[in-house]
Amino acid sequence: MNAQLVLYLASVSGAIALWLLMPRGRALPWWRSGLAAMIGVGALGAAWVAVGVRWWGEVDRVASDIGLLGAGYYYVFSGVAILSAVRVITHTKPVYSALWFVMVVVASSGLLVSLAAEFMAFAMLIIYGGAILVTYMFVIMLASQSSPEDVIEEQPEYDRASTEPVWAVVAGFVLLAALLSVGFDAPTANVKASAEEQEMSDAVLIETRLAGRLVVTEEDAARQALSSTPEVDATALSNSERLGMDLFEGHPLAIELAGVILLVALIGAVVIAKTKVPEEIARNAAFRGATPGAGGATVRPTEEAGPDSPEVLGSTRG
Amino acid sequence: MQDTMINSLTFSHYFFTGAVLFVLGMIGFITRRNMIVMFLCTEMMFQGVVVTLAAAAALHGNITGQTFIIFVLTIAAAEAALALGLVILLFRRRQTLDAGAWSELSG
Repeated sequence: MNAQLVLYLASVSGAIALWLLMPRGRALPWWRSGLAAMIGVGALGAAWVAVGVRWWGEVDRVASDIGLLGAGYYYVFSGVAILSAVRVITHTKPVYSALWFVMVVVASSGLLVSLAAEFMAFAMLIIYGGAILVTYMFVIMLASQSSPEDVIEEQPEYDRASTEPVWAVVAGFVLLAALLSVGFDAPTANVKASAEEQEMSDAVLIETRLAGRLVVTEEDAARQALSSTPEVDATALSNSERLGMDLFEGHPLAIELAGVILLVALIGAVVIAKTKVPEEIARNAAFRGATPGAGGATVRPTEEAGPDSPEVLGSTRG
Repeated sequence: MQDTMINSLTFSHYFFTGAVLFVLGMIGFITRRNMIVMFLCTEMMFQGVVVTLAAAAALHGNITGQTFIIFVLTIAAAEAALALGLVILLFRRRQTLDAGAWSELSG
């Protein structure tokens, strides 16, 4: 069968599986999630095989030829990433969505390691898993109403029901099918050639960008004395060295702009956080007026608000 | 034959994973109504882009693809700070994370 056709069929069945898993305001029956899991895993496997078969016979395009880790790592990390991503968008509790997203980050870091991009893999783990996701968890815990029960009907309505699941899934998987048919024709480069190019470009990098630094310092001399094969050393930079050289020699303006963006974001976040909210001021005033009563301190300000106050209108809308 | 099939891991596999992560993030952004989860889904689209960039860098033997990941991470961090600040601000006004509570903004 045509591999392209298999990819389209896998897209359609993946769409059906995801649609079955979309939260609908009540607990999913077991047969529904089981059916969805079977269809989804089948679609993923078929797509993997079809993607590989498209380049059947072109042995030199095999990725493991340029020293990447075994194919098994790819399948494990990619499977974990995709299944966790499905759980992120189908789980009804935001905290669990964030935790599943940590799994997506870990798995895609594994993919980066198998692509010989170690530095970015660890940077992703530290920045995404360590910093951004902790911020998300903080905000989720600050802003979520607590729903201790595991009963799905106890959760807020906006968490357990999704908007337009059919059209979103259709649009998404049409985009995926288009990407699978168009995007993969572009990489026709020969991998062996690109491995040679890599060494060539390293040599060029060293000759052109480090030309001014080719003055042999004591450190360099010591390093040369330490390494038994200095020629191989010169053409095989480590990933971080290559990355740092490309970043600071090739994109100095972009680094400055990234710094400016971070600064603007920092100032913006402070301004947003210090904004006075009229509803909150009114609510606090009402709260303070009501507290002299004995049980006033335990009543949350939201519950004291009148029926026509803005926050009650807001929560009943949509 | 089975052996060959398992061994024939191509860069297209990595592009496939990147595309799937991007599309799942997009679907999540459309369907979820919790504002925090919506921004989590945009971060997942970034993940797909990161995997694609790293695969393209390895395919072409060009390190610039990996360099761009640094800038993707920069934008993601700036976006997370601003978006979460805005979410907290909106939550303080309406006491809900429902994106539908602000549907009058769409005009």
